[in-house]
Amino acid sequence: MISLEAIKERLEGQFGSRLLDRADFRDEVTYAVAPGDWMEVLSFCRDDPQMAFDQLDCLVGDHLPERAAAPFQVVAHLVSHTHGQRLRIKTALAEDPTLPTVTNLWPSAGFDEREAWEMLGIAFEGHPDLRRLLTTEDFEGYPLRKDFPLRGTIGGRIRTELKGKI
Amino acid sequence: MSEPATSGPATSGYISSTGEPEPHGYSVEVPPLEHRPTLDELKERKARTRQNVETTGEILTVSMGPQHPSTHGVYRAVLDLDGEVVVDIRPEIGNLHRGVEKLSEERTYHQIIPITDRLDYLSSFAMNHGYCEAVEKLMGVEVPARARYIRTITSELCRLSNHIMWLGVHIMDLGTQTFFCICFRDREYILDLLEMLTGARLTHSFCRIGGVAKDLPDGFAHKCRKVVEFLPKRVAEYERIVKQNRIYYRRAKNVGIFTSEDCFAWRVTGPPLRAAGVVRDLRKDEPYAAYDEVNFDVAVEYNADVYDRFLVRMKEIRESCKIIEQCLDNLPDGPFLAKDSVHTMQLKKNVMRDAGAMIHDFYQVFHGPDAPKGEVYRATEVPKGEFGVYIRSDGGTKPARIHFTTPSFYHGQVLPAMARGEMLADVVAIFASIDVVLGDCDR
Amino acid sequence: MGITGSALVNPFDRGIQATGEDSLGGPVRLPGGFAMPVQIERILGFGRSFSFWPLLFGLACCAIEMMALGGSRFDMSRFGMEAMRASPRQADGMIVAGWCSTKMAPRVVRLYEQIPDPKWVLAMGSCAISGNIWDTYGVVQGVDSLIPVDVYVPGCPPRPEALWQGLEMIRDRIKQSRHAYDGLRRIPARDALTGGTGEA
Repeated sequence: MISLEAIKERLEGQFGSRLLDRADFRDEVTYAVAPGDWMEVLSFCRDDPQMAFDQLDCLVGDHLPERAAAPFQVVAHLVSHTHGQRLRIKTALAEDPTLPTVTNLWPSAGFDEREAWEMLGIAFEGHPDLRRLLTTEDFEGYPLRKDFPLRGTIGGRIRTELKGKI
Repeated sequence: MSEPATSGPATSGYISSTGEPEPHGYSVEVPPLEHRPTLDELKERKARTRQNVETTGEILTVSMGPQHPSTHGVYRAVLDLDGEVVVDIRPEIGNLHRGVEKLSEERTYHQIIPITDRLDYLSSFAMNHGYCEAVEKLMGVEVPARARYIRTITSELCRLSNHIMWLGVHIMDLGTQTFFCICFRDREYILDLLEMLTGARLTHSFCRIGGVAKDLPDGFAHKCRKVVEFLPKRVAEYERIVKQNRIYYRRAKNVGIFTSEDCFAWRVTGPPLRAAGVVRDLRKDEPYAAYDEVNFDVAVEYNADVYDRFLVRMKEIRESCKIIEQCLDNLPDGPFLAKDSVHTMQLKKNVMRDAGAMIHDFYQVFHGPDAPKGEVYRATEVPKGEFGVYIRSDGGTKPARIHFTTPSFYHGQVLPAMARGEMLADVVAIFASIDVVLGDCDR
Repeated sequence: MGITGSALVNPFDRGIQATGEDSLGGPVRLPGGFAMPVQIERILGFGRSFSFWPLLFGLACCAIEMMALGGSRFDMSRFGMEAMRASPRQADGMIVAGWCSTKMAPRVVRLYEQIPDPKWVLAMGSCAISGNIWDTYGVVQGVDSLIPVDVYVPGCPPRPEALWQGLEMIRDRIKQSRHAYDGLRRIPARDALTGGTGEA
């Protein structure tokens, strides 16, 4: 068992200034990394025996329109069963966001990345099967972006196009 | 297996009184019951029980669902079959998608509670509870002791109801209608308790930020005690019917083996993870509510197959009964809702009598609770696995982004990895054993 | 599919508006101009009402209460309704139990159309009736915008007793041989496609 402090030290010792930001809030630690370092940091977190984050709890896409330079972000929540710790790593993305996939590290990211892609338009390079997951095939727009209307773009009571489906 | 299966009548079951399994017609030798397989043994057994899927035969594609009785709702699995062997599965979810996260971003923190009800509608309170724990962590609200105990009791009642319902449906999928009726008979007693407490059978919306909506009603403790006293006897009855049933044993034993490594990689949590020998229970590991003040054991089994997932759930029912009894014994006095006028609702009985309470109530209803800026993630152990809530707050009364990490979402994804190489008939058993609820899955 | 086309007249699709007769009386027209007496149809309806087999079609929370109605305490089999058919071809009607998402909408219409006539539909729960709290991009705001609904059972979810009452109301309609498409004779989802002409 390794404490969260030791994990912080280990990660900061390894990456140093490449960790752009650290936030401690309610006993949780969040690191921000550049999109280019995304893969490397996450691989290190999984493979290093002192980190051993063997489970990706979730991978969440997010939209922050008030942050004009980088309006998107992807947040990964990691769990280490060996050490019983949690870690959050996030990266900020510009318009037309792309990020390398982490399905080769944790297969469970498959659905997460598909969801982030269809809900926010964040493309994951190298994802084996990047299709729409929750919405219909002909759905237009990215529902979780803040400018998308809650009631959808089609309106009416049916809220989907039935032509060609029934 | 920690408990020898010799408790039932010696002549009726598949396992004889000596504990030796019946040898005929079963190609995989079953290890002695007390043996705990190591990870390597499990991997080897997994490789042995799965068929080779690298075949050149003709592939038949079958669409199972969304209108299919054993997909537990509207899950759709497109199966590629080579003869009777499953070569590949392509899951399709989203048939119950309704945009929970988008909707939650337009609601205040109080108004999200009823939405979380309808994520996993078989254990609504556990979902309420998980969400409220996350919001309390964000806002720094201290929950009074009595509320923590009431939450524990209600969460465990939900676990009981969920597991009993799961058992009935699981066995029905494997071909027995009668057992479904037995389970629903017992589930109704638990629903009666929940209805007495919360006023609803399924969608409770009973948790509040900083406590619960109501105190325990008169006579609840007495009724609840009676139910948790007879439920372990019922579990013994279930085990007598199911555990030693030769059909169930053959359809469940060594089917869908999924080792602890696989579980971590695919984020399989809850009973399937514990059936793989991992002592992982957030009630112990990251305690919340009153779980660190009661004694209970984490239910663990070691063979990582459908059969052991059943055993884990049966153990969990017994442990839940123990937890509820202890909570009823040690139930502290005091308020059941935090006195925190910035973040919690006021007691309704005060609202009409006290001007201050009325002002605060008005503020909470029309404005909402003010949250600090920051992001939190809180995971709780719901009956199906680990339910995490990620909230990013920009301040204000609504979350800027809220994400529900629901167990069924990942369990719906894992079916291909779990069932590839198994027989077609086993897909139903495997899918039932990981306990997917589509409302939870599709969000 | 289903109820359009004039050459094959469904004996139970009586065409109230066309003949101008009230919904309880009037002969049933069989192919060849033969008219079935009302009394015989009443007898058929009486018999049919005691063996209403709903489609085993659960969407969301309400489906759990539907299962509870089939379970031990409420015991739907007392009324000859326990035989829930998983195939629409064998069912007499449909209980839409839960919210109907946009992804599910074409499938609901297809399932409805695959049920042989005469058929009855019960919309169970607020989500199926009006969309409930899910006023979002992903949910059809009331399943009656897709298929004709006979009986609405409100609640979130309705108790099994409420569903039971709804099924009793369906039974009354069966006895009278009344369907939601009496007088309407069209499927709203197809109307939405064709702009209300009924020719789909």
